Amino acid sequence: MPKAFDINNPPFDRLTPNEAETLRAALDVAYFRPGEAIIRRDAPADALYVVIKGTVEERGEADLLALLGPKDTFDSRALVHDQNGHKFLARDETLCYVIPRKVALNLIRANPRFAAFFYREISQKLDELANDEEARRYGSLMHAKVGELFLHPPSFMAATDTIEAAGHLMREINSNALFVRNGERIGIITGMNLSKAVVLRRLPIQTPVGELANFDIVSIRPDDFVSSALLLMTKHNKRRLAVHDGERFVGILEEIDLLGFLAGSAQVVAGRIDRGASLQDLASAARETEAQTRVLRRQGVKVEVIAEIVSDLNRRLLSRLFEMVAPAELRTSGCLIVMGSEGRGEQTMRTDQDNGLILDGPVESKSLESFRNEFSGALGRFGFPPCPGNIMVSNPAWSKPLTDYLADFRRWIALPDEAAHMNVAIVYDAQAIAGNASLLDRAKATLIELIRGEQAFLAHFARAIDAFETPIGLFNNLITSEGSGDALDLKKGGIFPIVHGVRSLALEQGLRETSTDKRISRLCDLGVLRADFGRDLKQAFRFLLMLRLDGQLAASGGASGTLVRPAHLSSMERHLLRDALQVVKQFREIVRHRFKLGMF
Amino acid sequence: MLPRAIKRLLHQATLSDQSYRFMFDRAPDDDFVVIDCETTGLNVRTDDIVTIAAIRIRGNRILTSEHFEAVVHPDSEMGAEAIKIHRLRHSDVEAAPIVWKVLPSFLRFIGPRPLIGYYVDFDIAMLDKYILPLVGIELPNERIEISRLYYERKYGDAPPNTSIDLSFAAILRDLKIPPLAQHDAFDDALMTAMMFLQLRDLAERGIRIERQRTSPVFNPIGA
Repeated sequence: MPKAFDINNPPFDRLTPNEAETLRAALDVAYFRPGEAIIRRDAPADALYVVIKGTVEERGEADLLALLGPKDTFDSRALVHDQNGHKFLARDETLCYVIPRKVALNLIRANPRFAAFFYREISQKLDELANDEEARRYGSLMHAKVGELFLHPPSFMAATDTIEAAGHLMREINSNALFVRNGERIGIITGMNLSKAVVLRRLPIQTPVGELANFDIVSIRPDDFVSSALLLMTKHNKRRLAVHDGERFVGILEEIDLLGFLAGSAQVVAGRIDRGASLQDLASAARETEAQTRVLRRQGVKVEVIAEIVSDLNRRLLSRLFEMVAPAELRTSGCLIVMGSEGRGEQTMRTDQDNGLILDGPVESKSLESFRNEFSGALGRFGFPPCPGNIMVSNPAWSKPLTDYLADFRRWIALPDEAAHMNVAIVYDAQAIAGNASLLDRAKATLIELIRGEQAFLAHFARAIDAFETPIGLFNNLITSEGSGDALDLKKGGIFPIVHGVRSLALEQGLRETSTDKRISRLCDLGVLRADFGRDLKQAFRFLLMLRLDGQLAASGGASGTLVRPAHLSSMERHLLRDALQVVKQFREIVRHRFKLGMF
Repeated sequence: MLPRAIKRLLHQATLSDQSYRFMFDRAPDDDFVVIDCETTGLNVRTDDIVTIAAIRIRGNRILTSEHFEAVVHPDSEMGAEAIKIHRLRHSDVEAAPIVWKVLPSFLRFIGPRPLIGYYVDFDIAMLDKYILPLVGIELPNERIEISRLYYERKYGDAPPNTSIDLSFAAILRDLKIPPLAQHDAFDDALMTAMMFLQLRDLAERGIRIERQRTSPVFNPIGA
């Protein structure tokens, strides 16, 4: 009964104390020498193993699929589905906990949350993990104390004070609710009470507020949980609660502030951008956008939703800036576009300036020139670094008339080189932000038309998915040299192959969607991808984006954040990362087969 | 001091309780038992056993699911120092059965299997102190000393003047075995079992444990 067995290590953290005891009592420890098979290919596993020390190789037909280190569990597939098709070998002197098959299967049967770990499909596992995290993060918000929320200050009026005085006081303290004292009784009066009294009941503004106040108030203590506040509001159907610390009233909690705390305040930032009157206003809104990402992630908002919110805020910002600095002529005859990841709506952190301008026809060069510099310069000051490839409005090659773009497209497709493929990729992902959107529509329709049936071009285009290996083999160093400099590049190894593979298939089909997620859905509808594989691919993609976001938040402002150190992940995350990279690998095969990349 | 083989014959003759004859049977192939005792101190004559743990090994498997563990009452007052090291409370020790009650089941658990331990002679001497009056013998089992297996793998071919470290922590470090909660008899026995399996495998494959160079090596290239 090894007490040292770590019951907090997922998935074992999902066991009840009794189940954990049953598990511990049944554990043995096994030693494997280097090269020894722990589970043979296509053989059912008689046990579930948890690595104590050493490294275990997971091998497919020929190649190494993954390396497992301490606290990793294997192999759920061999255990539940009788066989895996993979074999597991000890790479060096390895010790593992051995959980007998019967014990593991009994626990799986008895505990659905534990069982989720063993599902065959990565999409199911990821959903389960996401729900867990959501519960944990959302739960922690609900356990915040009322005192941590924004409270309106407690201001008192006498019942004999007038409506007029109340209105003035409300404006003065910038609050919509006041306490009203009538002898022993305490009530609340709101701005809405005042308006209704004057407008609907036509009461004179000299009416004492005591007649209007609501003395049926519900109070809560500052050290009560936020969840209790929410419950009280629901139960008593109140929009606000009085906060009382046992001796006196310390404030008023408004429903809107409570909900704002739980939901983040992206809408506030959006409003600030739309109402922004100066570049200064926009700069401060841009700063807040970044803070929103952090709040949203902490609240457990799913990564695809965060990307949507952040993209929306960035687009509003660009659109508002365009309105401010573009001459009237450009605003109607030009189309501001964003490209690359911003176009696909997959950015979760501030991004490079990948933008351009499509013009209806030639424009007076002096005003165009000053707009170019002003626009890109302002974005730079807002904290959007210039695009390293110089794909931005300030570059004349990316702010010119439609006819010039169309000429470029023909040249790219007729005489393709590396840059041509990249240019096609980013234009294909473009989205219109402001101005005349039909210009981009025409450009894209032409691009798709030019490429239709150009299989040779498409094959060369798709070939970039092989530019970087899937970094599964790297795991060893990463796990064994814990804390040292090694890290895995999620963008090259996982995110890029998915984005580009999906883009290639979408381009072949002439799809007009820009987000990877929607493209995958459409490819499934068209039968290009199997529906269940599409689901796995989407989940793997989201998981990789989430890991990247966490890396970016951790690196905060510093490095690219696309590097992830598996040694820093939880073993559950490592397990899922392994599964996600497996999906990437399968997807590459599909793309390779589709475009016959084996020929190269 | 009598050679152990002769002692074994002698004890077979003096065995007072014949129901313990099995202690002299042939041990099952590839079966071992790791033992560890926590004691009130290091003096066999005056100190006492606090806990006994034993775990069976079969082949390359440590059968933690079938183990023996018992807390026994020490005759002498348990030193505050020992309480600190083992993180035991007096009440833990008070409540336990006395060593006489657990020894029969302990003897049945180990049977004739070879005993493995870290400084196993000490543990066995402690146990013999109680076993001799109980059944009229000392433990006849073959003994396997972990620190010796480690010494052979690491220092067997070492030049003179090599500084030697046979501490438990050093062995864990060299074999890259993660330390468990330590100073609990069961965890110590489990770690000892892990050491045994790996050291035996290294010996079978003829692999030595690397020694750190003790003196800095001159590097002509610099850095």
